[in-house]
Amino acid sequence: MHKRVFFFCALLSVAVLVAACGGGGSNETAPPPPPGGGATGGNTFDMSKANATVTGKISFEGTPPPNDKIQMSSDPYCQMHAADYPTAETVKVSDGGLENVIIYVSSGLPAGTTFATPTTPVEIDQQNCHYIPHAFTMMTNQPLKVKNNDMTLHNIHAWAEKNPQFNVAQPVKGLVSDTKFANPEVPLPIRCDVHKWMGAFVGVFDHPFHTVSKQGGTFELKLPPGNYEITAWHEKFGKKTMMVEVKDNDKKEVNFSYSASDKGTAD
Amino acid sequence: MRHENIALHRFILFTTCCTAFLIFVGGLVTSTESGLSVPDWPTTYGWNMFSFPYSKWVGGIFYEHGHRLTASFVGFLTVIMTVWTWLKEKRAWVRWLSAAALGAVILQGVLGGLTVIFLLPAWISTLHACLAQTFFCTVIALAVFTSPGWKRGLPVVKSQAESISLQTLCAATTGAVFTQLILGALMRHTNAGLAIPDFPLSLGHIIPPFTSNKVIIHFAHRVAAVIVTAMIVWTFSRISRSYSDHRLLFRPALVMMVLVAIQLVLGATTVWTAKAVFPTTVHVLTGALVLGTSFLLTLRAYAMVVVNMPADLRDAV
Repeated sequence: MHKRVFFFCALLSVAVLVAACGGGGSNETAPPPPPGGGATGGNTFDMSKANATVTGKISFEGTPPPNDKIQMSSDPYCQMHAADYPTAETVKVSDGGLENVIIYVSSGLPAGTTFATPTTPVEIDQQNCHYIPHAFTMMTNQPLKVKNNDMTLHNIHAWAEKNPQFNVAQPVKGLVSDTKFANPEVPLPIRCDVHKWMGAFVGVFDHPFHTVSKQGGTFELKLPPGNYEITAWHEKFGKKTMMVEVKDNDKKEVNFSYSASDKGTAD
Repeated sequence: MRHENIALHRFILFTTCCTAFLIFVGGLVTSTESGLSVPDWPTTYGWNMFSFPYSKWVGGIFYEHGHRLTASFVGFLTVIMTVWTWLKEKRAWVRWLSAAALGAVILQGVLGGLTVIFLLPAWISTLHACLAQTFFCTVIALAVFTSPGWKRGLPVVKSQAESISLQTLCAATTGAVFTQLILGALMRHTNAGLAIPDFPLSLGHIIPPFTSNKVIIHFAHRVAAVIVTAMIVWTFSRISRSYSDHRLLFRPALVMMVLVAIQLVLGATTVWTAKAVFPTTVHVLTGALVLGTSFLLTLRAYAMVVVNMPADLRDAV
């Protein structure tokens, strides 16, 4: 009988210890480092050759569909800012142009060329329970800083498919997590599982010819002479592509048009 | 001693009810997509899970952390149940069954932690869901085996001449329900719940075009629902025809019929509401209750129904 009691007391102790281990609030927030370093080698491209300018506008035809309403009552801190963000940022149209569209060179770059990785970090901030910016681009192995400027808890969850996924806690205001992505991936969604409405998209490229449409749906790309396929990607309306040929110091205009009938694609 | 044993039985019944509640809370975690809202385990945002401040239970954390605490409570109840059973229970196989329940609940906790750490891989999450149902059946079995009626001996019923015995039919029904729950878990954890967004048709057809694995999994769940319903109707018909005087068989069969009817409505509602949280979660709970009822009926069928009634019992029964 005593042996049985001892056996179960020992089991109970182990279970409690396993469940309860850990200390107070932790500041450990670093995501796992990606494989590969930041340096590029081989035939590194001279960026001064990217002297042609491609500008354009992502126009939106018709009436934009309404964005989903956001219900923030599950977090009192977020609820204080609910009036500033009544809806999601999925479709943002200003001056007839669609914002938050990722525009990039999808083919036409000389094979075997490598591009220097910027050392300046890209930043995404969590403010008032929203990601700022909502969409952004960066290069592979370029540093990414994820900040928490909120007086509430967030988790940063990268729903990557071609890069290692990570899910990192940021329980305290002021915390910054540093990470990188080793492989090109468009789009790479970033979400907060605590606050369902929080979502952002990043485009990760192995070259520097990419941008995001701004106010009025406008964008600008600096390109070296060549014949390129330019792709525009939007989280709701999907991908569109166009060809453009530029010569030294050329100025070309490339315009995309979306409408509510466009349907998104998987990538 | 008799009082203590009744107390043990009641305690196991309480543990069974808490397990059903835990399955409901686990369903809430997936229905609200909150499984990764607490990235660390066994800690919660670096805190000891039992001292994590309530003021920080915001958004999805409320569901995920609530699930962890409810699971810890059920784990604690299981430890008490096992110790109590080993101290008071005379039958060795019942004692070992309680030890198996304890092992299952510990393994379940580890699987829950692993699925968080590895970011919800479908196979770990599905295993976690299936082990939850297995643990539920184990505590139901313990509650049955420690009940005063079972210990006294359930009334014996003579088997009716049928091609398939009632015991086999009940066991097959329980197997079908369990298989259906595995498919349901697989569907939830591969995010295939809306792979077929229409009902009663499937992508506009009776048999949908199998364009993806998600469609196959979802359609398999629908086909299995038809099979399970047929099995339950068959079991209920058999019992109401041949064993309706035996309330220990008839009542669970009737409850199972009602539950499966509710379950079908909930399944359809889950699709029609595009996985609204309430019907989706209650669908998970009702599935567990159908399994539990079918399992209880199977245990009783094996205990009560005999082919050749012993001579000394023939008159009494």
